[in-house]
Amino acid sequence: MKYINKIVLVVVILIVPVMSFSQYCNHFHEKYCSSSENQRFQVNGQSKSALLNKGQTSNLNILVYKKMDYRISLCIEDNLGTEISFKIYEIKKVKVEKEIEHKDMEDEMGSCSECNGTGDLDGESCWDCDGAGEKPTGNEKEVITKETQVIVEKQKQLLYDNSQDDYAKVIEFTVEKSQKLVVEIKIPGEENKSNFIKSNDIGCVGLLVEHMTTPKTGF
Amino acid sequence: MKNKSKLAFVLLVSLPLLTMTSCDGGDPIVEKAIEEVIEVVQKENTTYYQIPSPDEMFGFIKTSGLAFNGELLSDIANSDSYTDSKMQALNFGIYSADLAYTAAYEEFNETTKYFATIQKMSEPLGLNVAFDKSLIERAQANLENPDSLVAITKTSYFAIVDYLENNKQGERLGLIASAGWLETVYVTANTIDYAKDKDAVDRLADQKLALDNLLDYLEKYESEANVSEVLVWFKGLEAVFATLSDEEDETGSNLTLKKKDDGKMVLGGGSSITMSEEQFNAVKDKVNEIRNNIVKTEV
Repeated sequence: MKYINKIVLVVVILIVPVMSFSQYCNHFHEKYCSSSENQRFQVNGQSKSALLNKGQTSNLNILVYKKMDYRISLCIEDNLGTEISFKIYEIKKVKVEKEIEHKDMEDEMGSCSECNGTGDLDGESCWDCDGAGEKPTGNEKEVITKETQVIVEKQKQLLYDNSQDDYAKVIEFTVEKSQKLVVEIKIPGEENKSNFIKSNDIGCVGLLVEHMTTPKTGF
Repeated sequence: MKNKSKLAFVLLVSLPLLTMTSCDGGDPIVEKAIEEVIEVVQKENTTYYQIPSPDEMFGFIKTSGLAFNGELLSDIANSDSYTDSKMQALNFGIYSADLAYTAAYEEFNETTKYFATIQKMSEPLGLNVAFDKSLIERAQANLENPDSLVAITKTSYFAIVDYLENNKQGERLGLIASAGWLETVYVTANTIDYAKDKDAVDRLADQKLALDNLLDYLEKYESEANVSEVLVWFKGLEAVFATLSDEEDETGSNLTLKKKDDGKMVLGGGSSITMSEEQFNAVKDKVNEIRNNIVKTEV
């Protein structure tokens, strides 16, 4: 008997047109992110779970209040890798001066002086300007004007980068003044910009945010 | 952590393909099949603007010593009056916040009524699926257990949030969450004694930052008529909050997140928002005006 082994590559394409798999990730942060052993910490409503793929970056805008301690812990599915980039930014609204260009079409004016002071020269006609001055020639020209405006821009300033902290997945800090922060998570790998993603390249990511009132120390 | 459901699905699809045999003149041919599952998935939104949940604010004002004031609650007798989908969503948010308020202050009788009200209002909004039987049973069994009751009201709030997010109803979530946030500010502003409650006044001033995030969230759904109308109201409130000044740290230092000598990480430096009594009254008046727009009953 002869056995012939054949390896047949079968590609199965599953179309999931409307539904996403994000529901798989519901409460992922509650189940898998490490929570604090300090009982005074409570889960903060700004915690989030999401479905991300390799190479993708996600931003979570949160608010932290003064006189509070916060603990942020990150958890991910194993297939997404280990060295997950976790950064914290401040968002500042900064007034900047910007030069704005305006382009308008205006009438092209002809000078009356070309007719020896009596009017415009247009071909062989001499237009009467009722004295010195200008008169529209019937043509239009583009006029560019520049204006300096003060606008408010949102600028990100890096406060923390876990790549400088051995790719830590947990950070705990005290807040002296209430701030808006952006927590940025980047999954390692090249981002796949197409809609065809291998199932091994997507997975759940959780950010567990916990808070407690900053303990008062001393007598 | 393996995604067991994905693995199970792959196995189910691949099982019939794993072995194939054919007979060709008596010689069996064994073919091995290797498959690669490629999914087309809808890319998820990657920027999230988190809106604080009501329980956080009410927990804070309670520990700050502010007293409960039942007169500030929105009248549940009006719940049947809201027939327009926008007003239903907004008032669902208001009542959800009131539920969190009553639970935080252990007002159990009121908590029961507000839980029943939001459960009833969830139906025309299609949110009743978020109230599963176990949640209702837990609520009924823990009516006199304050910690459990706060946890249950939080769970019900986030069950609604999850349901709306998973079903791509971000605009409805925006309406509910913004009204819920407004109710927390309304209760706080109308309970504070400006001269005595400094911490609560500071927390109220900090809502300028929460409103920023809220507006960023709502602007994603600006093209929806219901959201655009509500945005106009909240932008009016933004204009009032804009008069509050950011006071720089006396050292003029920028915001930093650094380890101090004791090893603790501290988010320090930067600026803080301050609010004069006149500004406090202006914020309170504007919040009251918007809240009245929401809770007024339709004629």
